[in-house]
Amino acid sequence: MAFLEIDRLHKRYGATEILKGIDLDLDQGGFLVLVGPSGCGKSTLLNTIAGLEQITGGEIRLEGRKINDLHPSRRDIAMVFQSYALYPTMSIKDNIGFGLEMRKVPKAEREAAIARVAKTLQIEHLLQRRPSQLSGGQRQRVAMGRALVRNPRLFLFDEPLSNLDAKLRVDMRTEIKRLHQQTGTTIVYVTHDQIEAMTLATKIAVLKDGKLQQVGTPAEIYNRPDNLFVADFMGSPSMNLMAGTVRASGNGAMIQLAQREGSIALQIPPSVTARDLPPEKKVIFGIRPEAITDIDGADRHASQLQTIEGRVDVIEPAGSDTYVVTQLGGKEVIARMRAEASLKVGDLVPFAFNLDKALLFDPETGYRL
Amino acid sequence: MSVDAGSAAISARGPRIIIYGLLILFAVFYLLPLYVMLVTSLKPLSEIQSGNMLQLPQAPSFYAWEKAWGAACIGVTCEGLKGFFWNSIRMVVPAVTISTILGALNGYVLTKWKFRGHKLIFGLMLFGCFIPFQVVLVPMAQVLGRLGLASSTPGLVLVHIVYGLGFTTLFFRNFYVAFPDELVRAAMMDGAGFFRIFWRILLPASLPIIVVTVIYQFTNIWNDFLFGASFTSGDAAPMTVALNNLVSSSTGVKEYNVDMAAALIAALPTLLVYVVAGRYFVRGLMAGAVKG
Repeated sequence: MAFLEIDRLHKRYGATEILKGIDLDLDQGGFLVLVGPSGCGKSTLLNTIAGLEQITGGEIRLEGRKINDLHPSRRDIAMVFQSYALYPTMSIKDNIGFGLEMRKVPKAEREAAIARVAKTLQIEHLLQRRPSQLSGGQRQRVAMGRALVRNPRLFLFDEPLSNLDAKLRVDMRTEIKRLHQQTGTTIVYVTHDQIEAMTLATKIAVLKDGKLQQVGTPAEIYNRPDNLFVADFMGSPSMNLMAGTVRASGNGAMIQLAQREGSIALQIPPSVTARDLPPEKKVIFGIRPEAITDIDGADRHASQLQTIEGRVDVIEPAGSDTYVVTQLGGKEVIARMRAEASLKVGDLVPFAFNLDKALLFDPETGYRL
Repeated sequence: MSVDAGSAAISARGPRIIIYGLLILFAVFYLLPLYVMLVTSLKPLSEIQSGNMLQLPQAPSFYAWEKAWGAACIGVTCEGLKGFFWNSIRMVVPAVTISTILGALNGYVLTKWKFRGHKLIFGLMLFGCFIPFQVVLVPMAQVLGRLGLASSTPGLVLVHIVYGLGFTTLFFRNFYVAFPDELVRAAMMDGAGFFRIFWRILLPASLPIIVVTVIYQFTNIWNDFLFGASFTSGDAAPMTVALNNLVSSSTGVKEYNVDMAAALIAALPTLLVYVVAGRYFVRGLMAGAVKG
């Protein structure tokens, strides 16, 4: 039995169905990230766990106990909001202590708890101030402090970093991860930022249109996406997806991809589990930019490496690496080469494909083959 | 460049002088009646009768103020306005307090605890703002009679609360609409209930709109004449009604100085409320108006 269990959860607003039967669970101490494009229902899902929204069907259980009929205040769940939602007329100290006060915790105990949390988050010097006197990052810390101080069974984070600037966001991301490692709390975290999802999660759930697309560890989601949506959504720059056709060849089958002039043939990636690929079947060939490199930068341990000549259309140096754009299968393909690789636009250069990392998808169903 | 800027400053000064001149002129024009009332109230009757209205009093005295407050005849009793002044206070304080609290609660419920039909309820309350006083006089009198509150201060308080509810609800609803829902949700997660959230989270942030509502309600209720004249009689009448009776019931010589002093006494409390809380008034109106 998992710590948090969500069972066939449905949520309807009038005629529109927001959540279409969600099944999810999370072990104690886990970090579950709900990720998806805006409007996919991830925030609604979080609100139903919090109890801020009623569900229309299914069940939510925490430590084996059904909680979906309990009032939010009685679920022993704390939440960090996107806007931080600090009480504007109270001092930081009162903000953090409000939840304890509502639960009738004696004053001395309360003070001790506030001091402890303030120390953990390094906001001791801010306790007497008002929220309006704090910077974005400080407010973020206070919001987390308010959740932490209650020592709840479950933490919910609703896009907590989306109001911060890029640098602070990265800092706070690390901070949240460290906090999770230190305290071993159980967290459900909503974001639309797939990098946040990858870096923080022990478990990721990708949502689209109120349906779970895939649930798994960050590595599973990244390396073996179940379908085209997950493949395209996770990763930046996103996965190269090229239309190709299966062709019979001497001792097996090959994938033929159209190039600007002529076409190329790639071996079937070892990841493909489908028994037989009938010749002439249309497929989508997916490979991440970092699996297409210059020859020197190729993974030495790759079991299946194939080199293909391609013309360089665009070069985007990113400092640590250089992104090279070429064309394959009628689409732009991005390769990640070493920064030292000397390239010129218009050159015909070899691209090394690490086929261990390549995937095939069925273009009709969108599922991985 | 600098020459251009200089001449622009000079040419901008001309219109500014005209604008300020006109503003001062109009201010003087509108303050003139108040000035006349004030000087008249400080003059003895003989000086008033001698003619020049605008002249400063030669021998200023508070005789008229004292008489208006404590000895002027209203109807058959000659005890001045003081009894009626307290009547008004006894009416206005509970009426303003209760209608403001109820308005705040209504606004809170209509924005943060939405229920099926909340728009209709709010629409009907708004509609109540547009019902003219005169329309409700007869039914109101019947209701008060049935409740046993006719011709009493509590009855008048009830009338003003009912009538003010539409306005106070409107003020608070528009203010709370802009109040972030996430704060209410956060408080809920923290374990606060309906009244705790209202008392601890919303109310402390509501000072501007409370000031607006109090000024609006105080002014309206203090200055009301129609309800006061209709639903009270004799000693229970509020200040406005008494002032009318004082001015119209003088026998013999018309004591203009006493009339003026009485009118000024009647106007003082509202003036005081504006002076004390006025600077919040515009700010509060704006705060409610930006998102509404």
